Amino acid sequence: MTVRPAKHIDAASIIGLTLLVGVVSSLALIAIGLAWHWARWGTLELDYTLPATSVGGFVLADVRQLELGEVRPRLLVSLGIVVLLLTPWVRVLASMLYFAIVERNAKYTCFTAFVLALLTWSLLGSP
Amino acid sequence: MSVPLLFAVSILAGSVGAMSGMGGGVILVPALTLLGLDIRRAIAISIVSVIATSSGAASAYVRDHITNLKIGMFLEMFTMLGALLGASIAVVSEPRILFLVFGAVLLVSWATLWLQRKEEWHPAAPPDSFSRWLELDGVYRDRRLGCDVRYHAVRAWLGGPLMFGAGLVAGLLGIGAGALKVLIHDLVMGLPPKVSTTTSNLIIGVTALAGTSVYLRAGLVDPGLAAPVILGITVGAFVGTRVLVRLTNRTVRRVFLGVLAVLGVEMLLRGIRGG
Repeated sequence: MTVRPAKHIDAASIIGLTLLVGVVSSLALIAIGLAWHWARWGTLELDYTLPATSVGGFVLADVRQLELGEVRPRLLVSLGIVVLLLTPWVRVLASMLYFAIVERNAKYTCFTAFVLALLTWSLLGSP
Repeated sequence: MSVPLLFAVSILAGSVGAMSGMGGGVILVPALTLLGLDIRRAIAISIVSVIATSSGAASAYVRDHITNLKIGMFLEMFTMLGALLGASIAVVSEPRILFLVFGAVLLVSWATLWLQRKEEWHPAAPPDSFSRWLELDGVYRDRRLGCDVRYHAVRAWLGGPLMFGAGLVAGLLGIGAGALKVLIHDLVMGLPPKVSTTTSNLIIGVTALAGTSVYLRAGLVDPGLAAPVILGITVGAFVGTRVLVRLTNRTVRRVFLGVLAVLGVEMLLRGIRGG
Protein backbone atom coordinates (compact mmCIF):
# COMPACT_ATOMS: atom_id res chain seq x y z
CA MET A 1 0.00 0.00 0.00
CA THR A 2 1.54 3.30 -1.02
CA VAL A 3 0.72 6.65 0.45
CA ARG A 4 1.63 8.83 -2.44
CA PRO A 5 0.04 8.41 -5.84
CA ALA A 6 2.40 6.43 -8.07
CA LYS A 7 4.64 8.80 -9.97
CA HIS A 8 6.04 7.81 -13.33
CA ILE A 9 9.19 6.55 -11.55
CA ASP A 10 9.16 5.92 -7.83
CA ALA A 11 12.51 6.17 -6.00
CA ALA A 12 11.41 3.92 -3.15
CA SER A 13 10.42 1.11 -5.47
CA ILE A 14 13.68 1.29 -7.43
CA ILE A 15 15.77 1.32 -4.26
CA GLY A 16 13.71 -1.40 -2.59
CA LEU A 17 13.99 -3.62 -5.63
CA THR A 18 17.75 -3.01 -5.96
CA LEU A 19 18.28 -4.08 -2.36
CA LEU A 20 15.98 -7.09 -2.61
CA VAL A 21 17.51 -8.42 -5.84
CA GLY A 22 21.02 -7.83 -4.48
CA VAL A 23 20.49 -9.61 -1.17
CA VAL A 24 18.45 -12.52 -2.54
CA SER A 25 20.87 -13.26 -5.39
CA SER A 26 23.83 -12.97 -3.03
CA LEU A 27 22.30 -15.42 -0.55
CA ALA A 28 21.33 -17.80 -3.38
CA LEU A 29 24.88 -17.82 -4.79
CA ILE A 30 26.38 -18.45 -1.35
CA ALA A 31 23.86 -21.19 -0.53
CA ILE A 32 24.34 -22.97 -3.88
CA GLY A 33 28.12 -22.64 -3.58
CA LEU A 34 28.16 -24.13 -0.08
CA ALA A 35 25.73 -26.92 -1.00
CA TRP A 36 27.80 -27.77 -4.09
CA HIS A 37 30.98 -27.80 -2.04
CA TRP A 38 29.36 -30.10 0.48
CA ALA A 39 28.05 -32.44 -2.24
CA ARG A 40 31.45 -32.66 -3.87
CA TRP A 41 33.82 -32.73 -0.92
CA GLY A 42 31.52 -33.82 1.89
CA THR A 43 32.38 -30.80 4.03
CA LEU A 44 31.22 -27.22 4.38
CA GLU A 45 34.67 -26.03 5.28
CA LEU A 46 35.93 -23.90 2.44
CA ASP A 47 39.65 -23.47 2.48
CA TYR A 48 39.34 -19.93 1.30
CA THR A 49 41.41 -17.16 2.74
CA LEU A 50 41.75 -13.88 0.99
CA PRO A 51 44.88 -11.78 0.75
CA ALA A 52 44.58 -8.10 1.64
CA THR A 53 42.69 -6.62 -1.27
CA SER A 54 40.35 -3.83 -2.22
CA VAL A 55 36.73 -4.65 -3.04
CA GLY A 56 37.63 -3.74 -6.63
CA GLY A 57 40.45 -6.30 -6.64
CA PHE A 58 38.13 -8.90 -5.14
CA VAL A 59 35.57 -8.29 -7.90
CA LEU A 60 38.23 -8.38 -10.65
CA ALA A 61 39.64 -11.69 -9.44
CA ASP A 62 36.18 -13.24 -9.61
CA VAL A 63 35.47 -11.82 -13.06
CA ARG A 64 38.79 -13.25 -14.35
CA GLN A 65 37.88 -16.69 -13.02
CA LEU A 66 34.47 -16.43 -14.66
CA GLU A 67 36.12 -15.55 -17.97
CA LEU A 68 38.30 -18.64 -17.69
CA GLY A 69 35.15 -20.68 -17.19
CA GLU A 70 36.39 -21.92 -13.81
CA VAL A 71 33.00 -22.21 -12.16
CA ARG A 72 33.64 -23.97 -8.86
CA PRO A 73 31.81 -23.94 -5.52
CA ARG A 74 34.36 -21.47 -4.17
CA LEU A 75 33.74 -19.06 -7.04
CA LEU A 76 29.98 -19.10 -6.44
CA VAL A 77 30.47 -18.29 -2.75
CA SER A 78 32.91 -15.56 -3.70
CA LEU A 79 30.50 -14.12 -6.27
CA GLY A 80 27.77 -14.14 -3.62
CA ILE A 81 29.93 -12.00 -1.34
CA VAL A 82 30.83 -9.70 -4.25
CA VAL A 83 27.16 -9.21 -5.14
CA LEU A 84 26.45 -8.40 -1.49
CA LEU A 85 29.25 -5.81 -1.37
CA LEU A 86 28.07 -4.16 -4.58
CA THR A 87 24.43 -3.95 -3.46
CA PRO A 88 24.67 -0.77 -1.32
CA TRP A 89 26.94 0.79 -3.96
CA VAL A 90 24.36 0.18 -6.70
CA ARG A 91 21.68 1.52 -4.34
CA VAL A 92 23.59 4.80 -3.93
CA LEU A 93 24.16 5.00 -7.70
CA ALA A 94 20.44 4.45 -8.34
CA SER A 95 19.55 7.14 -5.78
CA MET A 96 21.92 9.63 -7.39
CA LEU A 97 20.48 8.98 -10.86
CA TYR A 98 16.98 9.36 -9.45
CA PHE A 99 17.73 12.71 -7.80
CA ALA A 100 19.57 13.93 -10.93
CA ILE A 101 17.21 12.76 -13.66
CA VAL A 102 13.74 12.33 -12.20
CA GLU A 103 13.58 14.76 -9.31
CA ARG A 104 16.16 17.20 -10.75
CA ASN A 105 17.19 18.06 -7.21
CA ALA A 106 20.70 19.53 -7.39
CA LYS A 107 21.20 19.49 -3.61
CA TYR A 108 20.52 15.79 -3.20
CA THR A 109 22.30 14.89 -6.42
CA CYS A 110 25.39 16.48 -4.84
CA PHE A 111 24.90 14.65 -1.52
CA THR A 112 24.50 11.24 -3.16
CA ALA A 113 27.37 11.99 -5.58
CA PHE A 114 29.59 12.70 -2.58
CA VAL A 115 28.59 9.40 -0.93
CA LEU A 116 29.10 7.55 -4.22
CA ALA A 117 32.52 9.13 -4.85
CA LEU A 118 33.80 8.40 -1.34
CA LEU A 119 32.39 4.87 -1.41
CA THR A 120 33.94 4.20 -4.83
CA TRP A 121 37.27 5.53 -3.60
CA SER A 122 37.14 3.28 -0.55
CA LEU A 123 36.17 0.25 -2.66
CA LEU A 124 38.96 0.77 -5.20
CA GLY A 125 41.72 2.00 -2.90
CA SER A 126 44.89 -0.08 -2.81
CA PRO A 127 45.75 -2.10 0.34
CA MET B 1 36.22 -23.76 13.06
CA SER B 2 33.22 -26.05 12.55
CA VAL B 3 30.99 -24.57 9.87
CA PRO B 4 27.70 -26.13 11.07
CA LEU B 5 28.39 -24.64 14.52
CA LEU B 6 29.17 -21.27 12.95
CA PHE B 7 25.95 -21.48 10.97
CA ALA B 8 23.92 -22.31 14.09
CA VAL B 9 25.48 -19.47 16.10
CA SER B 10 24.73 -17.05 13.24
CA ILE B 11 21.08 -18.11 13.03
CA LEU B 12 20.79 -17.58 16.78
CA ALA B 13 22.53 -14.18 16.60
CA GLY B 14 20.31 -13.10 13.70
CA SER B 15 17.04 -14.07 15.37
CA VAL B 16 17.90 -12.76 18.84
CA GLY B 17 19.25 -9.57 17.25
CA ALA B 18 16.06 -9.05 15.29
CA MET B 19 13.78 -9.79 18.25
CA SER B 20 15.63 -7.61 20.72
CA GLY B 21 15.97 -4.81 18.17
CA MET B 22 19.72 -4.59 18.58
CA GLY B 23 20.78 -6.31 15.38
CA GLY B 24 22.81 -9.49 14.92
CA GLY B 25 26.29 -7.96 15.17
CA VAL B 26 26.24 -7.29 18.90
CA ILE B 27 25.67 -10.99 19.57
CA LEU B 28 27.70 -12.36 16.68
CA VAL B 29 31.01 -10.69 17.57
CA PRO B 30 31.08 -11.89 21.22
CA ALA B 31 29.93 -15.35 20.09
CA LEU B 32 32.66 -15.62 17.44
CA THR B 33 35.34 -14.59 19.93
CA LEU B 34 34.02 -17.21 22.37
CA LEU B 35 34.48 -19.75 19.56
CA GLY B 36 38.14 -18.74 19.50
CA LEU B 37 38.25 -16.24 16.63
CA ASP B 38 40.46 -13.15 16.91
CA ILE B 39 38.22 -10.18 17.72
CA ARG B 40 39.34 -8.18 14.69
CA ARG B 41 38.50 -11.08 12.36
CA ALA B 42 35.15 -11.49 14.15
CA ILE B 43 34.41 -7.79 13.64
CA ALA B 44 35.37 -8.02 9.95
CA ILE B 45 33.03 -10.97 9.35
CA SER B 46 30.25 -9.32 11.33
CA ILE B 47 30.35 -6.08 9.37
CA VAL B 48 30.01 -7.97 6.07
CA SER B 49 26.97 -9.83 7.42
CA VAL B 50 25.46 -6.53 8.63
CA ILE B 51 25.24 -5.44 4.96
CA ALA B 52 23.01 -8.46 4.28
CA THR B 53 20.65 -8.11 7.25
CA SER B 54 20.23 -4.34 6.96
CA SER B 55 19.75 -4.37 3.18
CA GLY B 56 17.26 -7.21 3.44
CA ALA B 57 15.19 -5.38 6.05
CA ALA B 58 15.57 -2.02 4.28
CA SER B 59 14.25 -3.45 1.00
CA ALA B 60 10.92 -4.18 2.67
CA TYR B 61 10.67 -0.91 4.62
CA VAL B 62 11.63 1.30 1.67
CA ARG B 63 8.87 -0.11 -0.46
CA ASP B 64 6.37 0.57 2.33
CA HIS B 65 7.24 4.28 1.98
CA ILE B 66 8.09 4.67 5.64
CA THR B 67 11.83 5.16 5.16
CA ASN B 68 12.74 8.80 4.51
CA LEU B 69 15.22 8.66 1.64
CA LYS B 70 16.39 12.27 1.97
CA ILE B 71 17.09 11.99 5.68
CA GLY B 72 18.91 8.73 4.92
CA MET B 73 21.03 10.21 2.13
CA PHE B 74 21.93 13.27 4.18
CA LEU B 75 22.91 11.31 7.28
CA GLU B 76 24.83 8.56 5.50
CA MET B 77 27.41 11.13 4.39
CA PHE B 78 28.35 11.35 8.07
CA THR B 79 28.02 7.70 9.07
CA MET B 80 30.13 6.59 6.10
CA LEU B 81 33.00 8.90 7.04
CA GLY B 82 32.69 7.71 10.63
CA ALA B 83 32.79 4.04 9.57
CA LEU B 84 35.93 4.58 7.47
CA LEU B 85 37.66 6.16 10.45
CA GLY B 86 36.32 3.61 12.96
CA ALA B 87 37.44 0.62 10.88
CA SER B 88 40.85 2.20 10.28
CA ILE B 89 41.26 2.54 14.05
CA ALA B 90 40.10 -1.06 14.67
CA VAL B 91 42.63 -2.68 12.31
CA VAL B 92 45.52 -1.18 14.27
CA SER B 93 43.95 -1.54 17.74
CA GLU B 94 44.95 -3.90 20.51
CA PRO B 95 42.31 -6.65 20.96
CA ARG B 96 41.83 -5.73 24.61
CA ILE B 97 40.84 -2.17 23.71
CA LEU B 98 38.26 -3.53 21.29
CA PHE B 99 36.87 -5.87 23.96
CA LEU B 100 36.53 -2.95 26.39
CA VAL B 101 34.86 -0.60 23.89
CA PHE B 102 32.59 -3.37 22.65
CA GLY B 103 31.47 -4.23 26.17
CA ALA B 104 30.83 -0.58 27.00
CA VAL B 105 28.82 0.09 23.82
CA LEU B 106 26.82 -3.09 24.37
CA LEU B 107 25.86 -2.06 27.88
CA VAL B 108 24.96 1.49 26.83
CA SER B 109 22.80 0.27 23.92
CA TRP B 110 21.22 -2.31 26.18
CA ALA B 111 20.36 0.34 28.75
CA THR B 112 18.69 2.54 26.15
CA LEU B 113 16.57 -0.39 25.00
CA TRP B 114 15.75 -1.37 28.56
CA LEU B 115 14.67 2.14 29.44
CA GLN B 116 12.93 2.65 26.12
CA ARG B 117 10.25 5.23 26.49
CA LYS B 118 6.79 4.15 25.53
CA GLU B 119 5.48 7.67 25.11
CA GLU B 120 3.49 8.57 22.08
CA TRP B 121 5.38 10.53 19.49
CA HIS B 122 4.54 14.20 19.14
CA PRO B 123 5.53 16.41 16.23
CA ALA B 124 8.70 18.34 17.02
CA ALA B 125 8.99 22.12 17.24
CA PRO B 126 8.98 24.01 13.93
CA PRO B 127 12.01 23.07 11.84
CA ASP B 128 15.08 25.29 11.89
CA SER B 129 16.14 26.88 8.63
CA PHE B 130 18.93 24.36 7.95
CA SER B 131 16.61 21.36 8.33
CA ARG B 132 14.08 23.13 6.12
CA TRP B 133 16.74 23.81 3.50
CA LEU B 134 17.54 20.08 3.55
CA GLU B 135 13.88 19.24 2.85
CA LEU B 136 13.83 16.81 5.78
CA ASP B 137 10.11 16.24 6.07
CA GLY B 138 7.69 13.55 5.04
CA VAL B 139 4.49 11.70 5.52
CA TYR B 140 3.78 8.03 6.08
CA ARG B 141 0.74 5.89 6.53
CA ASP B 142 0.33 4.54 10.07
CA ARG B 143 -1.62 1.32 9.69
CA ARG B 144 -2.42 1.03 13.38
CA LEU B 145 -3.83 4.56 13.63
CA GLY B 146 -5.27 4.33 10.13
CA CYS B 147 -4.14 7.81 9.17
CA ASP B 148 -1.31 9.69 7.51
CA VAL B 149 1.35 11.01 9.87
CA ARG B 150 3.18 14.17 8.82
CA TYR B 151 6.55 14.94 10.36
CA HIS B 152 9.69 16.99 9.89
CA ALA B 153 13.20 16.66 11.23
CA VAL B 154 14.80 19.29 13.45
CA ARG B 155 18.41 20.03 14.49
CA ALA B 156 19.97 18.44 11.39
CA TRP B 157 23.09 20.51 12.13
CA LEU B 158 23.54 18.46 15.30
CA GLY B 159 22.15 15.14 14.03
CA GLY B 160 24.69 14.96 11.19
CA PRO B 161 27.85 15.24 13.32
CA LEU B 162 26.39 12.88 15.93
CA MET B 163 25.77 10.34 13.19
CA PHE B 164 29.48 10.55 12.41
CA GLY B 165 29.99 9.16 15.92
CA ALA B 166 27.43 6.38 15.35
CA GLY B 167 29.21 5.47 12.10
CA LEU B 168 32.54 5.44 13.91
CA VAL B 169 31.21 2.95 16.47
CA ALA B 170 29.72 0.83 13.66
CA GLY B 171 33.01 0.69 11.76
CA LEU B 172 35.09 0.16 14.89
CA LEU B 173 33.03 -2.73 16.26
CA GLY B 174 31.54 -4.29 13.13
CA ILE B 175 27.96 -3.69 14.21
CA GLY B 176 25.06 -1.78 12.68
CA ALA B 177 24.87 0.47 15.75
CA GLY B 178 21.17 0.82 14.97
CA ALA B 179 20.33 1.55 18.60
CA LEU B 180 22.61 4.61 18.56
CA LYS B 181 21.27 5.83 15.24
CA VAL B 182 17.67 5.46 16.37
CA LEU B 183 18.50 7.35 19.55
CA ILE B 184 19.86 10.29 17.54
CA HIS B 185 16.87 10.22 15.18
CA ASP B 186 14.42 10.12 18.09
CA LEU B 187 15.92 12.45 20.65
CA VAL B 188 17.86 14.93 18.54
CA MET B 189 16.00 15.07 15.25
CA GLY B 190 12.47 14.44 16.57
CA LEU B 191 11.54 11.75 14.05
CA PRO B 192 8.65 9.31 14.63
CA PRO B 193 9.94 5.89 15.85
CA LYS B 194 8.89 4.04 12.69
CA VAL B 195 10.67 6.50 10.45
CA SER B 196 13.78 6.48 12.61
CA THR B 197 14.17 2.68 12.74
CA THR B 198 13.53 2.14 9.04
CA THR B 199 15.72 5.05 7.93
CA SER B 200 18.49 3.83 10.24
CA ASN B 201 18.28 0.46 8.49
CA LEU B 202 18.84 2.04 5.09
CA ILE B 203 21.88 3.96 6.31
CA ILE B 204 23.47 0.90 7.91
CA GLY B 205 24.06 -0.84 4.55
CA VAL B 206 26.30 1.90 3.15
CA THR B 207 27.99 2.44 6.52
CA ALA B 208 28.83 -1.26 6.81
CA LEU B 209 30.15 -1.38 3.25
CA ALA B 210 32.51 1.52 3.93
CA GLY B 211 33.78 -0.32 7.02
CA THR B 212 34.08 -3.60 5.09
CA SER B 213 36.33 -1.99 2.49
CA VAL B 214 38.86 -1.17 5.23
CA TYR B 215 38.76 -4.68 6.77
CA LEU B 216 39.14 -6.26 3.33
CA ARG B 217 42.21 -4.14 2.62
CA ALA B 218 43.66 -5.24 5.95
CA GLY B 219 43.17 -8.88 4.90
CA LEU B 220 40.89 -9.59 7.87
CA VAL B 221 37.84 -10.88 5.95
CA ASP B 222 37.84 -14.67 5.65
CA PRO B 223 35.26 -15.61 2.96
CA GLY B 224 35.20 -19.26 4.06
CA LEU B 225 33.90 -18.16 7.47
CA ALA B 226 31.94 -15.13 6.25
CA ALA B 227 29.79 -17.18 3.84
CA PRO B 228 28.00 -19.39 6.40
CA VAL B 229 27.69 -16.40 8.76
CA ILE B 230 26.02 -14.22 6.09
CA LEU B 231 23.61 -17.02 5.27
CA GLY B 232 22.86 -17.93 8.89
CA ILE B 233 22.39 -14.43 10.25
CA THR B 234 20.02 -13.43 7.44
CA VAL B 235 17.92 -16.58 7.86
CA GLY B 236 17.91 -15.92 11.62
CA ALA B 237 16.86 -12.28 11.21
CA PHE B 238 14.08 -13.29 8.84
CA VAL B 239 12.78 -15.92 11.24
CA GLY B 240 13.20 -13.51 14.15
CA THR B 241 11.10 -10.76 12.58
CA ARG B 242 8.50 -12.78 10.70
CA VAL B 243 7.82 -15.76 12.91
CA LEU B 244 9.12 -15.39 16.42
CA VAL B 245 7.78 -11.90 17.06
CA ARG B 246 4.32 -13.39 17.02
CA LEU B 247 5.24 -16.00 19.60
CA THR B 248 7.05 -13.68 21.92
CA ASN B 249 6.03 -11.10 24.48
CA ARG B 250 7.63 -8.54 26.73
CA THR B 251 8.98 -11.10 29.17
CA VAL B 252 10.75 -13.04 26.43
CA ARG B 253 12.21 -9.80 25.12
CA ARG B 254 13.53 -8.99 28.57
CA VAL B 255 15.16 -12.40 28.82
CA PHE B 256 16.99 -11.69 25.57
CA LEU B 257 18.00 -8.27 26.84
CA GLY B 258 19.38 -10.07 29.87
CA VAL B 259 21.52 -12.24 27.61
CA LEU B 260 22.85 -9.10 25.95
CA ALA B 261 23.75 -7.58 29.31
CA VAL B 262 25.66 -10.74 30.25
CA LEU B 263 27.56 -10.58 26.95
CA GLY B 264 28.40 -6.92 27.59
CA VAL B 265 29.80 -7.65 31.04
CA GLU B 266 31.67 -10.67 29.70
CA MET B 267 33.31 -8.58 26.95
CA LEU B 268 34.32 -5.94 29.49
CA LEU B 269 35.84 -8.56 31.78
CA ARG B 270 37.81 -10.09 28.92
CA GLY B 271 39.07 -6.62 28.03
CA ILE B 272 40.16 -6.01 31.62
CA ARG B 273 41.88 -9.41 31.76
CA GLY B 274 43.77 -8.54 28.57
CA GLY B 275 41.63 -9.98 25.74
